[in-house]
Amino acid sequence: MAQLEISSIDKFYGATQALFDVSLTVRKGEFVTLLGPSGSGKTTLLKILAGFESVSAGRITLNGRDVTALAPERRNFGLVFQGYALFPHMTVFDNVAYPLRVRRIPRDEIAQRVAEMLDLVQLSRFAQRKPAALSGGQQQRVALARALVFRPDLLLLDEPMSALDKKLRGDLQEQLRDIHRSLGTTFINVTHDQEEAMHMSDTIAIMNHGRIEQAGSAFALYRHPGSRFVAEFVGKSNFLGGRADHSGNQPVFVTGSARIPLAGPGLPPDGTILMIRPEDVVLNPPDAQTNLVRLPAKVLSSTYSGDRALYTLAAEGLPPLLAYGHAREGLHDNGGAVTVGLSGDGAVLLSEGV
Amino acid sequence: MSPSRIVFAVSVGFGFAFLILPLAIVLPLAFNDSTFLNYPMSGVSLRWFDVVLNQPPWLFAMANSFKVAVGAMALSVVTGGLAAMGVMASGRVAALVLSALFVSPLVVPSVVLGVAMFFIFARFGLSGGHLSLILAHSVLGAPLVFLSAMTSLKGLNPELDRAGASMGASRLFRFRTIILPLTAPGFLIGAMFAFITSFDEVVVALFLSSPQSLTLPIALFSGLRDQLEPTLVVVALMLSMISALFLLVVARLQKATEQKA
Ligand SMILES: Nc1ncnc2c1ncn2[C@@H]1O[C@H](COP(=O)(O)OP(=O)(O)OP(=O)(O)O)[C@@H](O)[C@H]1O
Ligand SMILES: [Mg+2]
Repeated sequence: MAQLEISSIDKFYGATQALFDVSLTVRKGEFVTLLGPSGSGKTTLLKILAGFESVSAGRITLNGRDVTALAPERRNFGLVFQGYALFPHMTVFDNVAYPLRVRRIPRDEIAQRVAEMLDLVQLSRFAQRKPAALSGGQQQRVALARALVFRPDLLLLDEPMSALDKKLRGDLQEQLRDIHRSLGTTFINVTHDQEEAMHMSDTIAIMNHGRIEQAGSAFALYRHPGSRFVAEFVGKSNFLGGRADHSGNQPVFVTGSARIPLAGPGLPPDGTILMIRPEDVVLNPPDAQTNLVRLPAKVLSSTYSGDRALYTLAAEGLPPLLAYGHAREGLHDNGGAVTVGLSGDGAVLLSEGV
Repeated sequence: MSPSRIVFAVSVGFGFAFLILPLAIVLPLAFNDSTFLNYPMSGVSLRWFDVVLNQPPWLFAMANSFKVAVGAMALSVVTGGLAAMGVMASGRVAALVLSALFVSPLVVPSVVLGVAMFFIFARFGLSGGHLSLILAHSVLGAPLVFLSAMTSLKGLNPELDRAGASMGASRLFRFRTIILPLTAPGFLIGAMFAFITSFDEVVVALFLSSPQSLTLPIALFSGLRDQLEPTLVVVALMLSMISALFLLVVARLQKATEQKA
C-alpha cells in the first residue's frame, strides 16, 4: 500500500522554479533515495516533505491524509540533517531523549527506549558524552538514533554521509541498511553519491533541474535508463550517435561505418543514440560468437582494479569506447591491437534531447 | 616590522597613554594621607575609604545607583531580549526597520533624551523618584541587550531549532530547551552592559535625579565642584573595580558562548 504520495509538486522561490511537477509514490517500509547533481532540487523536496518549505502547487498525503500544510512539529517525521544538528549543550542521552520528553513519556520508559536505540547504533558507551566529544561518524549515529527513537512514520536523511570519509561511509551504509531492515521504517535519503544510492535503496529517484527524471530500482535504472542523463548518472556508459535501420530482416544501428545488430523487440525504432554499458562491449570475442559486429581497435589506456580492467579503446569512426575485460592473464598494453565486439545485447536506444 | 604590527603597536600605545596612564597616575591618590589631590603623597592611609564608607552622601548615593542599575538592567533585559526574539522571527524588511528602531536610543544624544524625559516624567508626576531613572536608563540599556542578544541568536545554527521542530517540540518548548540555554550568555552580557551603563550614567541622571534619588556619578560630579578631596578618587577607584569585575565576567561568558557554538 502506498504510504506517502507526492503529487504534482511545483515550488517557486520568487521567480525561479526549483521543482517542476514532482510526483512520487513511496510504499511503507521502502528505502527511497533522491539522487541528482547539485542544484537539482533534492534538498528542496526534502524540506517540503519535512514541512520547512511550503509548496507552490501540488499535495502530499500520508496514509491518505493530506499533510501538505501541516506544521513540521505535527508531522511525526524523523529528520537527519546534513550537519547533524545535535544539541551541543546536551549529552548524547539527552539528545536522544529529547523527542520522548517532548511527548511527555514517563521517565523510566524514556531511559529504556534511549538505551535500546543507543544499543542499536552502538553508542551505549557514549551516553554521557557531549556531542563535541564525538567523532563525525559517532555524531551521525546519534543524529540517526534521535530521529528514530520516537518511531516516526518517515525518516528523512539529507546527505547523511557527505561529511565522512569513504571507508566510514561504507560501514555506515551497511549499518543504515541493517537498521532500516530491522525497524521497517520508511526512509527517504538524499545523496549525490550514486554508489551509495545503488547500495542502499529499494527505489532511486533521479532528479535533474527540479524534475524527477526517472524513478525505479537500481537495476531498472542501470539496465533500462529512460534518458541519456539517467544513463550517464548511474554507472559508466558508451554513447554512439547514429540511426536505427529496420530495412533488412535484421534491424541494425548504423554508426560511422559500423552496423551493430540490434537484439530483439522492445527497442524504440526512432532512437538516435545507442547506449552500451562497458561490460557489454566484448573484448576479442571468440569466433563462435555471432550476432555482433567486430571492429579493429587500439588500446588507449587501462585501469586495473584486480577483479577486472577498464579499457579505453579507439575504434575507427567511433568515439573512445569503455570496455571491461577480465585480467587473469595480464593486461593489454597501451597501443596494442584488439578486436571489439559490439551488439545490441543489453544496449538501450535513446532519443536525443530527452 | 610589518605594517600590521606597526598599527598594532601604535594603537596599543595610544590606548595605554590615554586610558591607562591617567588612571595609573590618579588612582594611587586614593591612599593619600593629605586632603589634597597632588603628588608627592604625604603618606599612605585608608582614611578616605573610611570617609566614603561612613559619611554622606557616598553610601546613600551608592545604594541609589545600585537600585537604579538593577532595575534598569531587569527592564532592559525584558524589553531588549523580547525585541531581539521578535526581530529574529520577523521577515527581512520588518527585521531591518525594527532593528533600526530598537537601536535608535544609542544614536540620540543623551542631552536630548534627558530633556525629553524630564518633561515627560514631570507631566506624569514621576520626577525625582527612582522609577524615572530606572525607566530612562532602561531606554539606554535595552539597545545594548538587544544587540548582544541578536548577536548570539544570529550565531545559533538555525538547524537546531528545525531539528527540535522535526521532533515535535512546540515553539515555546524549543525556546526553553534549545534557544535560551544556548544564547543565555548573550543575554547576560547585555545585562551586564545595561547595568554598567546605568551605574555610571551622568547626563540623563543630571536632569532626573533629585536629592532623594542622588546617584553616585552625580554625587561625584558635585563633589568635583564643591571640594576636591581624595574621596573622589576613592569612589572612582571603586567604580573602576566594579567595571573591571564585570568585564571579566563578560569575557568569561563570551568564551562560554564560543565553546557552545
Ligand atoms: N531559499 C532559496 N531561495 C531561492 N532559491 C533557492 C532557495 N533554496 C534553493 N534554491 C534554488 O533551488 C534549486 C534547488 O536547490 P536544492 O538546494 O534543492 O538543490 P540540491 O539538489 O539539494 O543541491 P545540492 O546537492 O547542492 O545540495 C537551486 O537552483 C537553488 O539555487
Ligand atoms: Mg542539498
